[in-house]
Amino acid sequence: MENTLISFISALRNADVRVSPAETLDAFAATNLIGYGERDALKRALWLTLPKTSDEKERFDRCFDRFFNVDAIEHRFETNDESPSHACSSLGQLLQSDDSAGLSLAMAEAGQDANVSSIQIFTQKGLFTRRIMERMGLGDLNAEIAGLRDGSLADIELAQRLIEARDRLRGQIRDYVEREFLLHADHDGRRLREEVLRRVKLSNVDRRNFRHLKAMVLRMAKKLETLASQKRKVFRRGHLHVPRTLRSNMSYDGALFELEWKSKKINRPKVFAICDVSGSVASYARFMLLFLYSLEAVLPHVRAFAFSSHLGEVTGWFEEHDLEEAITRTLKTFSGGSTDYGQAFEDLHDLCLDEVDHRSTVIILGDARNNYGDARKNLLQTLYERAGRVIWLNPEPRASWFTGDAAMRAYLPYCHQARVCNSLEHLQRLMTDLVKLGR
Amino acid sequence: MNSSNHTELVHSIEGVVDALRAEGYVCGEQVGTAVYLAHHLNKPVLVEGPPGVGKTELAKTAAAMFKLPLIRLQCYEGLDEAKAIYEWKYGKQLLYTQVLKETLEDVLQGAKGLADSVRRLHEFGDIFFSEEFLEPRPLLKALREEQGCVLLIDEVDKSDQEFESLLLELLSDFQISIPEIGTVKARSVLPMVFLTSNNTREISDALKRRCLHLYIPFPDAHLENRIVEARVPEVLPSLRAQLVAFIQALRDLDLKKVPAISETIDWARTLLILHADRLDADLVRDTLSVVLKFQEDIETVSAEVPSLVRRALPDAD
Repeated sequence: MENTLISFISALRNADVRVSPAETLDAFAATNLIGYGERDALKRALWLTLPKTSDEKERFDRCFDRFFNVDAIEHRFETNDESPSHACSSLGQLLQSDDSAGLSLAMAEAGQDANVSSIQIFTQKGLFTRRIMERMGLGDLNAEIAGLRDGSLADIELAQRLIEARDRLRGQIRDYVEREFLLHADHDGRRLREEVLRRVKLSNVDRRNFRHLKAMVLRMAKKLETLASQKRKVFRRGHLHVPRTLRSNMSYDGALFELEWKSKKINRPKVFAICDVSGSVASYARFMLLFLYSLEAVLPHVRAFAFSSHLGEVTGWFEEHDLEEAITRTLKTFSGGSTDYGQAFEDLHDLCLDEVDHRSTVIILGDARNNYGDARKNLLQTLYERAGRVIWLNPEPRASWFTGDAAMRAYLPYCHQARVCNSLEHLQRLMTDLVKLGR
Repeated sequence: MNSSNHTELVHSIEGVVDALRAEGYVCGEQVGTAVYLAHHLNKPVLVEGPPGVGKTELAKTAAAMFKLPLIRLQCYEGLDEAKAIYEWKYGKQLLYTQVLKETLEDVLQGAKGLADSVRRLHEFGDIFFSEEFLEPRPLLKALREEQGCVLLIDEVDKSDQEFESLLLELLSDFQISIPEIGTVKARSVLPMVFLTSNNTREISDALKRRCLHLYIPFPDAHLENRIVEARVPEVLPSLRAQLVAFIQALRDLDLKKVPAISETIDWARTLLILHADRLDADLVRDTLSVVLKFQEDIETVSAEVPSLVRRALPDAD
């Protein structure tokens, strides 16, 4: 039974329920107490120990019902009473015996032998069905059937019945393998797809995959959020920290000489996100904005600007509308026109230079392809001198940063950091850094 | 039922459910299983669910059922170790230093040289940081309880993340480290710990890992009926069925705050005082403020009261 529980837990993990080894041990302790006798009691005990959010509990329910499937094989062997013959092979006898439970058990055992829980892709279903049949004694049965066919009328009759029973069994085993496949394999290819989507260039992502990407971004953001909020400090000014005060004043005979305060500051960075939304980089801007605003709980002071030929602030849209709508609006309004970084920086100066201070992080997302226009790097320089950090994200590989009409060479001295950013993985790294800054 | 044989209560899950019911807490087998496992595995239980489904009540009832004292720690933002675990009795400590200063002369009398004085000082017992001056707060109190106790850490989601980390040691090992003294371990009987959360904030994985996780949803009509029966037995069965059906229908509406069990019970009591024997639209409209806590909700529902009442009265007409 221990193996069953372990196998069930691996099926749970496959269904995206996070189960730690400590919880596995708890589950064992609980099942030892409850026993395996009653299905509902077992389910309730595991429900308490394994899934830990209501979302996971729902998935647990589905997984449990599929795993501890109670419909045993319905098996009846039709005989006419006149036929006195009996099968000799073990599987033949089992089929003839009307023993549904025995047959289910034999199937499960053969399944474990054949390691059916290692099934990975759907084309393996036939293979595993065959393997389980063989482990149950298909060879002997087939030989027996072949032998019977040459015998008496009763023998032929028996052979016919055995063939029918065998084919029915095959169907049932197929069902069983199918269930195992759904439980243990990455059946909709999600893991593979996510692995790929993390790495692929965002501009190459198909429109139909946006939905998946969005879900992934939200999940990553959530993870970062818990990471960051664990480090959040309470801000309380002017409260006396009595224990610490007394402790540090021991040396003055307990006279309160030096006061200690409970002041802890949350240093949340102000983020200014400036996105080039001209055709070539628009899809990067989309996902960066999505990511940035999903982190609202940890990065509450985000201001977003978009530009191609001129620059405008879009923060308001993100406050009023939902993410999707705000992004679409941004892209629609600003994406026309040829890119002019010089103009964009000038607009930015007019808009909000006064508000950039040493706690601000300025993120510029763009390929710096300025159509041979005036780069106006002095404007970036003022920004660089005022801001705490200027990070330039360039979707192009480093090798092409300085080719053609790219003004990267002019801007590079005025960035604290410049990095390639063209996949979800890059974005995630950036966000992790941003959130860490907040500590 | 006395404290010595309370273990007999929990020899089976049904036993737990029955014992809880005897204390006036009607629940399904899932809740029973949680208490049963918590008792036998010595695991804390994290209870989540919408407000008012009886999370806190579960802990209180468990305490009553095991005949154990209930120690309650209400969490709030800014709760720290000084309020949850221990605090030094500063006033007394300061007095102690004064006393010490006066006796210092006697202790050091006749000491030769500085080294000798220091040696004598060391020999002189120092109780500045000792149990004498320790003011135990709920968590420490729970560990020191000889007969065991039920510890309720209420609304743990309201506390800060740091506080959650403080709890981890207690929840996994039933011990607390006090830097000046050492580690305080639980007495032979471990406390039974309940944590409740309204999910205003995601509880950290580390904390969840150490607990059994019980989610209490709103009860179905049958269970709610039984709960009202246990809590307000004076209400007529026909009225009870009607008001439960009405509340169940309210929960399906799009409201700012849907009524919880506590509201159902309050409403039942209200109707009892008003000597109502069946629901009607006027009565409902007049007493709606007991069930709904927001003016907007009351306005939304008021318009639909007649149809809701009609649906809640299956035998009418």
